[in-house]
Amino acid sequence: MNSSNSLSADVVIVGSGVAGASIANVLARAGLSVIVLEAGPRIDRQHILENFRASENKGAYQLPYPPVPWAMHPPDQGSPNGYLHTTGPDGAAYQQGYLRVLGGTTWHWAGCAWRYLPSDFEIQSRYGVGRDWAISYNDLEPFYYQAEVMMGVAGPNMDVDDLGSPRSHDYPMKEVPLSYAAEQFRKLIHEKTPYRVVHEPQARNTRPYDKRPTCEGNNNCMPLCPIGAMYNGIHSVNHAEAAGARIIPDAVVYRLETDSSNKKVTAVHYYDPDKNSYRVTGKYFVVAAHCIESAKLLLLSADEKNPRGIANSSDQVGRNMMDHTGVQLAFMSGDDSLWPGRGPLLTSIIDTFRDGPWRSERGAYLVHMVDDNQVDFATGLAIAKGYVGKELEEQIRYGSAHAVRLFSHNEGIADPNNRLTLSKTHKDVLGIPHPEVYYKLPDYTVKSCDHTKELFKELMVLMHGTDPQWTPGYFPQCHPSGSTIMGKDPTNSVVDHECRTHDHENLFVASSAVFSSVGTGNITLTIAALALRVADSLKREMLHA
Amino acid sequence: MPKFLSCRTVVHAAVAVAGLVGVGAAVAQDRDSAILKRGADLATAGDCVACHTAPGGKAFAGGLVISSPMGGIVSSNITPDKTTGIGEYTESDFAKALRQGIRKDGAHLYPAMPYPSYSAITDADIHAMYEYFMHGVQPVTQTNPKTGLNFPFNIRAMMIGWNLLFGGPSPKTLDAQHMSQIERGRYLADALEHCGTCHTPRNFLLAERGSEYLGGATLAGWYAPNITSSVRSGIGDWSEGDLVQYLRSGSVPGRSQAAGMMGEAIEHSLSKLSDDDLHAIAVYIKQVPAIENSPGDRARDRYGSAQSILDIQKPKLDREDALFPMDGKRIYVNNCAACHGLDGAGAADHFTPSLFSNAVVGAPNPDNLIMAIVHGVDRDANGQHVLMPGFGPDSDVQRLSDRDVANLVNYLTETFGSGDHHVTADYVLTARNGGPLPGLVRNLPYLVSGVMVAVLTVIALIVLWVMRRARRAIID
Repeated sequence: MNSSNSLSADVVIVGSGVAGASIANVLARAGLSVIVLEAGPRIDRQHILENFRASENKGAYQLPYPPVPWAMHPPDQGSPNGYLHTTGPDGAAYQQGYLRVLGGTTWHWAGCAWRYLPSDFEIQSRYGVGRDWAISYNDLEPFYYQAEVMMGVAGPNMDVDDLGSPRSHDYPMKEVPLSYAAEQFRKLIHEKTPYRVVHEPQARNTRPYDKRPTCEGNNNCMPLCPIGAMYNGIHSVNHAEAAGARIIPDAVVYRLETDSSNKKVTAVHYYDPDKNSYRVTGKYFVVAAHCIESAKLLLLSADEKNPRGIANSSDQVGRNMMDHTGVQLAFMSGDDSLWPGRGPLLTSIIDTFRDGPWRSERGAYLVHMVDDNQVDFATGLAIAKGYVGKELEEQIRYGSAHAVRLFSHNEGIADPNNRLTLSKTHKDVLGIPHPEVYYKLPDYTVKSCDHTKELFKELMVLMHGTDPQWTPGYFPQCHPSGSTIMGKDPTNSVVDHECRTHDHENLFVASSAVFSSVGTGNITLTIAALALRVADSLKREMLHA
Repeated sequence: MPKFLSCRTVVHAAVAVAGLVGVGAAVAQDRDSAILKRGADLATAGDCVACHTAPGGKAFAGGLVISSPMGGIVSSNITPDKTTGIGEYTESDFAKALRQGIRKDGAHLYPAMPYPSYSAITDADIHAMYEYFMHGVQPVTQTNPKTGLNFPFNIRAMMIGWNLLFGGPSPKTLDAQHMSQIERGRYLADALEHCGTCHTPRNFLLAERGSEYLGGATLAGWYAPNITSSVRSGIGDWSEGDLVQYLRSGSVPGRSQAAGMMGEAIEHSLSKLSDDDLHAIAVYIKQVPAIENSPGDRARDRYGSAQSILDIQKPKLDREDALFPMDGKRIYVNNCAACHGLDGAGAADHFTPSLFSNAVVGAPNPDNLIMAIVHGVDRDANGQHVLMPGFGPDSDVQRLSDRDVANLVNYLTETFGSGDHHVTADYVLTARNGGPLPGLVRNLPYLVSGVMVAVLTVIALIVLWVMRRARRAIID
């Protein structure tokens, strides 16, 4: 190994998504030297957008991001694939989509930027189920706000909707206005049911913000905002790079190395696409490589001192895999036209079942009336019914204006048997094993989904709906979490209240991997808040050392 | 409130309050506040804040670096702070700086400070501005870096000669409230808004060419276009209403929209003028003698039409390590069409402008199109914050190469403008680096050596003369 294969920095970060990039930005601005290693390539918005426009299946969010061989990611959410292998009774419900590219998976999120509820951090002490976090909502609140400012979140202030997460400051931007369809839906729900529809907080510009434009409602937030009005991790990558952080794409980290005492990580090793190996030393290390890839890397780094993998004396690395499980129903409303597909994808949500005493029995959930273009669905339905010619066109027009799609985020819960391991049969071109996940839906989640199905039936009747199309089984919402679970006890958790590994004092994990419970809101804002808290700990420790 | 406050209003107001408080005090106080208000309005019309405030800095505390072909000029602190600002200036010091470009310490200002325009400001208005800067502006203690121009431009005394040649007109003697609408428009446009500073081309020594008044000029990579009454080359077919709308909001759908420095002038200054003032400027500008200098066959905002929807299919999806090269059309579809439409028609409510019937796209000079693509548009005026992201090297939306920008500009001008401009990547690079250097700077090495030759010649002649005298003395 020659000297050009040796690099060094104060802080070495594995992964360039919202977590890794935001830490890099904060630390580089504080004057520390930072290296960010990203397995995937640097990508261009214009090429991804062109891929999306040219692809036939607009709902396949992974499709416009064809993976490179040295940094594979699943080709599509919800379908069996050759990279993320799933087993167990509900393996199909854990076929997650995520991206290994510079900037990470928020290239194709929908911008939903929820704070968790105070109760989400304490579900064991409040409801006697799952696991408590080692921190409370109040510990994270200042960082939630920092994350909202960093991403540019537009959300309802207390006078519009009280979302249940106390705030020290107003949202940086006024909430995204409801689309026409969402407005009609909310009116109906409020008039005819005891439930409520609230504005969903969104990392999407309702005014020019951070030199990015105001949302124009292109409606393809997933798989890509075409104009940069929605926050993507790449924006934090750019800010970090401008602040002096060194960003190295196509750098596949495959091993963490510890010192003789095993108390500290000394270096990480990565391959370039041609499998040349590099060693990067540092004072502190942050693994911020997504729930699945972070656990995979720790397991992959097993050596004599750490036979079960790095940071894994508890044997909890890779366990407690959680997600928000989805139930989905599409139908034709018998009421007035809704014209879904105008404005951003998600502007409203039913949050009635987000918390309650019943959480001791069944999981909480959120319900989206998804505001995407329904021409596809309407066309499929009309063709299946045998319409042709002019009638077919009329049916498509009618269906596109009346289709309703409801889906849910049902709360998962930590179960050590739901576990990620390294595949014994599949390896990538660099010889690195693929990830494999055993998954059985917790009864807690199944009960929650059953409750959701009853609600969906009720809503369909309310809207005089016909032609119900249930998505079979359960599907993943691509919010994997729990693989390096946080806790106070080093014997049954991987990281402590600071997201520092119990085993190695200079190693942190910044990812949904540390979540002790998964709540119901989309996980990104909590990932970002935890990451900014890690950055704050590192800054204080390094600058005052 | 109209900027040119009539004396009658002041008197009426004074009389109204006179019954309530002591007459003398009330009049003095009211006149003071009226003068301060008028001074503030004049400072707005002169757009002092644009240059004398650093990004994110305190108003009028200076520190903005104005890039010029000769190097960076740092704007000064013009708050009434006694040590770092202009707190020690008398009214006559203040007038000298504004009209003649001479600081209190006698040093000469560079004409980045538009004193050749401000020289026409009336005594009364100078007084009001002085009162405002002394009593209406918060003093800020802030020392700014020194201006450091390249040799020989760092010799401030050189400006003495320049000022003799190119110093501005004498102050207007007519009181502002006695001017006709057209006179007032001219006073606003020339003395305060200093339109000619950008829109009038400059001669070799960088002074405005009077014969080409408002005929259009390059400006740090941008182009301040011909705004004379020529229908083909200028804005002769704009109505007074169009002009007022443009100056107030920066946008006239189907004609043009402001970006760059014009966007700033509208944001900080023009959008804050009264209706009367904007109409006065419009009436004056509309009668500026036409200068015909466009190679086009029609006005620059009269080209192009909506295109049929483009075919956006391609044979297979790109992988990042094996990308298809993008031509201008594909760059357009994937970077512009999401807002401006595949047909180029923009948004129905003009939230995003159409690209045809658009002076920036139809202009004979592609500079503003290039710079709008590279730097974007960021204009907060008339209650509307317009932001188009830039696509240059620090974009957070898409970083286009100079080659990509050139291809895009050529596609746009061919499709929606007056024809393919054949812009090259090098041209784009030059534009985003501030445009081509003026002849004075470009030819500096030759000039300096020319001056050296001249100086040596003079020295040689003197020596020769002395030697002759000496010899004659010996002979004598």
